[in-house]
Amino acid sequence: MALDAVFRDQWGRVLATLIGILGDIELAEDAAAEAFAVAAERWPRDGEPANPVGWLVTTARNRAIDQLRRRQVLAAKTTLLARDLETGPQPPEALMDDAAAISDERLELIFTCCHPALALDAQVALTLRSLGGLSTDEIALAFLVPFETMSKRLTRAKRKIRDARIPFAVPPGHQLPDRLAGVLAVVYLIFNQGWGGGRVDLAAEAIRLGRALAGLMPDEPEVLALLALMLLHDARKAARVRDGQVVPLDDQDRTLWDTQQIDEGRRLLHRAVARGRTGPYLVQAAIADLHLHQPRDWRQIAALYQTLARQTGSPIVEMNRAIGVAEIDGPEAGLAILDRLDLDHYRYFHSTRAELLRRAGRDGEAHRAYRRALDLAQTEPEQRFLAERLAETAPTAEAEPGRADT
Amino acid sequence: MQYALLVYAPPEETDRAARPIPETVAAQLDRPEVTGWARLHAAESATTVRSDDGVMLLTDGPFIDSKEYLAGLILIEAGNLDGALATARELLQPTRPGTAIEVRPVLDGRFRGA
Repeated sequence: MALDAVFRDQWGRVLATLIGILGDIELAEDAAAEAFAVAAERWPRDGEPANPVGWLVTTARNRAIDQLRRRQVLAAKTTLLARDLETGPQPPEALMDDAAAISDERLELIFTCCHPALALDAQVALTLRSLGGLSTDEIALAFLVPFETMSKRLTRAKRKIRDARIPFAVPPGHQLPDRLAGVLAVVYLIFNQGWGGGRVDLAAEAIRLGRALAGLMPDEPEVLALLALMLLHDARKAARVRDGQVVPLDDQDRTLWDTQQIDEGRRLLHRAVARGRTGPYLVQAAIADLHLHQPRDWRQIAALYQTLARQTGSPIVEMNRAIGVAEIDGPEAGLAILDRLDLDHYRYFHSTRAELLRRAGRDGEAHRAYRRALDLAQTEPEQRFLAERLAETAPTAEAEPGRADT
Repeated sequence: MQYALLVYAPPEETDRAARPIPETVAAQLDRPEVTGWARLHAAESATTVRSDDGVMLLTDGPFIDSKEYLAGLILIEAGNLDGALATARELLQPTRPGTAIEVRPVLDGRFRGA
């Protein structure tokens, strides 16, 4: 296997184990980076070891011991490490063949990275760096901030974890639901950032993180549901844009949908449903699934949005319910719901409203709403799509039927 | 590990010094993990000393001029930030609405009885 692939797959695993041993993220990260560099040099020459993770952890630990000896800050480290410091580094072979000897502490790591005492942008960056193995450069590019800014953000977060002693632990039962919701929110935020475009495929990164979480917490329905939701959305990726233009769902070329991914998403959704608890990600995944059926069951979709609106109290969810209601009871019924919402800052609110106004034959108002949506649009395909609709609803042009939901 | 809880209180009408510590707050301050505390006089009682190119400057009032003022300082012992935050949450319970507690890890220090 190419070293890049090992790196991407094992970085989080190796780093988490090292933090568990060393109790310091920065030290662990430096040591892991060194170990991967040594591997890059040796493995092509000597062959890949039988247990790459064990080799990397042992090598990194030895580097960290050297580092600590140089720094002479020997106090307050684990007994294991204290002993190693006396006896000196172990040969990597010691852990090479015994995969079971390496504990998997990625869960501890993600709960640390997504600790609510850290700012949300720091949680996101730290999760991508620590568990995703992305470089600071890649994360900076993906979020369109200068390298220096991202580097400082990461350093500050790691220092805070160390100095304020943010625990490297899975939270106790009474805190787990809240804290898990925080972790899932970070992963979903990364996924949604991926839609906006950027040089790193953040949607794919979020799915990788989601898979890791589902592997680590196979009994948590919301973890399974989030992964299902992301897979079902992402499966339509290739069909969403054609010639640089957003393609509404009903006009999408279904042969471009990733059926394998849809199947996997549905299997996960069923597993989550079988657990019998209906959290917000489960409802969203179920809605995403309904959207893939032809014709769409708008009654069920609207009903699920109502459930979701009750759970989350989110006006954006209400907006989506309005789309479903418009399909069943006509555009004016949908508009009646939209008129109650305070979403003036939200770009999709205006494009949704414009679409319903157009269907209701209120072209003048639709034109103004499309203008507002275009002013707020952030990506080029969106802008092109909206500019076209804007032209169609211009006082002289004739309207044609269509749908704005994608 | 020691954490300092900096208690910021919203402006108040009545004289702080004339008011006893509410019983609910006093009970919290007696908790074993509280290793020290100081309740401060109102912000108007503050004098700030600064050095400007070696010249000592005195100003009347707190260094940071904000609506909320530093009302007190509580030192606690906790295993990690989660423990400190749990204690802070309980200490916040009996305080007036609008009170906020800033939790800061202590780097080093020495504390003698007042």
